[in-house]
Amino acid sequence: MKKLLAVWAVKILTIAGKIMGKKSTSGPGEIALKICPDLIKRLAGNVGKEIIVTCGTNGKTTTNNLLYTALTKGGYEVVCNNLGANMIGGIATAFASKCNIFGKFTADYACLEIDEASATKVFDHIKPDVMVITNMFRDQLDRYGETEQTMELLNNAIEKAEGVTLVLNGDDPLTTAFGENRNAKYFGISEKVLVNEDNSSEGRFCIKCGSPMKYNFVHYSQLGDFYCEECGNKRPEIDYEAKEIDLSESLKFQINGKHIDLNYRGFYNIYNVLAVYSVMEIIGVDTKHFNGLMSDYKPQIGRMEEFDLGKPFILNLAKNPAGFNQAIETVLQDKRKKDVIIAINDKPGDGIDVSWLWDVDFEKIGEAELNKLYTTGIRVYDLALRFKYSGIEPDMVTDDMEKAILNAMETDAEVCYVLVNYTALFGTQKILKAMRKEKENE
Amino acid sequence: MSDYKLKIVHLFPDFLNLYGDKGNIEAMKKRLEWRDVEAEVCLCTEGNEEIDFENTDIFVLGGGSDREQETVRQKLMEKKDAFKDYAEKGGVILATCGGFELLGNTIRKGEEETECLGILDIETDIAEDGKRFTGNVIIENSELGKIVGFENHSGRMNIKDNTPLGKVITGKGNDGKSGAEGVIYKNVFGTYLHGPLLPKNPDLCDYILNRALKRKYEDFMGLMPLGDHLEDKARRYIIKRFLG
Repeated sequence: MKKLLAVWAVKILTIAGKIMGKKSTSGPGEIALKICPDLIKRLAGNVGKEIIVTCGTNGKTTTNNLLYTALTKGGYEVVCNNLGANMIGGIATAFASKCNIFGKFTADYACLEIDEASATKVFDHIKPDVMVITNMFRDQLDRYGETEQTMELLNNAIEKAEGVTLVLNGDDPLTTAFGENRNAKYFGISEKVLVNEDNSSEGRFCIKCGSPMKYNFVHYSQLGDFYCEECGNKRPEIDYEAKEIDLSESLKFQINGKHIDLNYRGFYNIYNVLAVYSVMEIIGVDTKHFNGLMSDYKPQIGRMEEFDLGKPFILNLAKNPAGFNQAIETVLQDKRKKDVIIAINDKPGDGIDVSWLWDVDFEKIGEAELNKLYTTGIRVYDLALRFKYSGIEPDMVTDDMEKAILNAMETDAEVCYVLVNYTALFGTQKILKAMRKEKENE
Repeated sequence: MSDYKLKIVHLFPDFLNLYGDKGNIEAMKKRLEWRDVEAEVCLCTEGNEEIDFENTDIFVLGGGSDREQETVRQKLMEKKDAFKDYAEKGGVILATCGGFELLGNTIRKGEEETECLGILDIETDIAEDGKRFTGNVIIENSELGKIVGFENHSGRMNIKDNTPLGKVITGKGNDGKSGAEGVIYKNVFGTYLHGPLLPKNPDLCDYILNRALKRKYEDFMGLMPLGDHLEDKARRYIIKRFLG
């Protein structure tokens, strides 16, 4: 009875939340867990096949949603927290929402994105069969502490998920460390793709012995073909490897000889696709029509989301230095004359410390056929200073995103990139949507 | 061609670079160049560890994770005497966060006491409950006025009779109770305010640069003021947000 009450609570609260225009999907689940503390455990029993969880600093949401899309298109029933609420409440919401009003559901798979700090707690309720770790980057230090602390949390979680099959980014010396003496498969990109990427700020020293890490090639940050001359630690044997990469239009490459062609942007998305492919092979889902299975994927809000306002405005979320550097790399790949709007907030969801702005290679924006640069967000002045001291004066410094967008609409650039961090995302998307609507009505 | 030149050495940025310390180096470099003073920035890194104390005008030592901080401590302990001598003779050092702690006598964590450089007569205890002081900080320096920054540390610093960099107005400071933040000793500046402290506090930046220039050039008259319009806005935003 408690279970049923809890399920109803989620359903009612979710509807109420929608009416109120709330974006959070974790609240209903949190309340449901108060009513029925073992709700997740009881519902997870209805998943017939594997439970797959995804952790890692960047790419969690995209990887999880890609997997969900592919499995659903393949004809399976899947439980998924695809709205990105990745703490315990969000997981509860995902399961309860899948139930009918009698508290029943059946599903083949569960795909769950889980916040690194919540993983141990979530594994009290579910036992994952497969666990993907996308990468380990320095994130918001005031929230998560140093990368080492996050790794310790994940190690504890993996210990709890006894017998889990790990699917790890084999190009990341930090992530591969989780696979030591454990059941692990690795994915990786086995050729040099991006030029001028030789700086890395994390894991530059061997995680095992502390000696400087050497690379045959670097993709970005600490990702690449790494090896340590001192202790022999090196990039593992790769089980699922991408080669023949062509970023010129769409995303074309081969995984173990299979041709992949997807209409996405961004080098980093190769990793997300690799992770999904690896999982599907491991759980034994047919990958023969992989391109077709992936074709329904709609990027989540703010993942290179395009708005036509006379010219394309491309909205992208980035939350930490590695994410921002990859976003900037993607901007550089686009050779059109462009405006760039950047917004930085410092609410708790963003990390209240904005020091990391100095760890982003913002100066590269200057090489990007830059037409006009707009800085905005709560910490607009910190951002503008960051640019000033790297020799680029922003054309506009404003706390008003709408003003920046309106101005950019009038320039003769061919495209405008809008790069924002977390809490700036929803507001910006709302403005862009409203302007698109206005444009359509003209 | 400039008559004046400063050599700034960034100590082990490959280990201690956790909080965007690059901002402090960039601020010093740009603010010198804008006044037509030449700035040479050298990186002292793994495998490239020779330190020329004679010809260095400013050392910058940042913060890092515990493991990396320990590596740097061991490297610097080999140069302890020369480093201390440099500071005693008026050499300029800016040390932030973990780097600040390394300049003291010891860092104590429970029973375990680690010897440090002893350049500053200060001692650090790592909080037993592991609680970190994290948040925006505003301090008041009698000469420079308000200085703003961000702290994130589990160290509790006892600076004894030393002069603090400022009095805490918002935030925790050295130990969360004395109301002191940082230390100024001769030309050594230590503070928990990490990362890009100087871009937003141009007066502090110029103050440090002036100390270095006057030490090197007896006839140096002081840096000319700059506009600092944007810098002031960034600083005033924080002050307004917390103090109204």
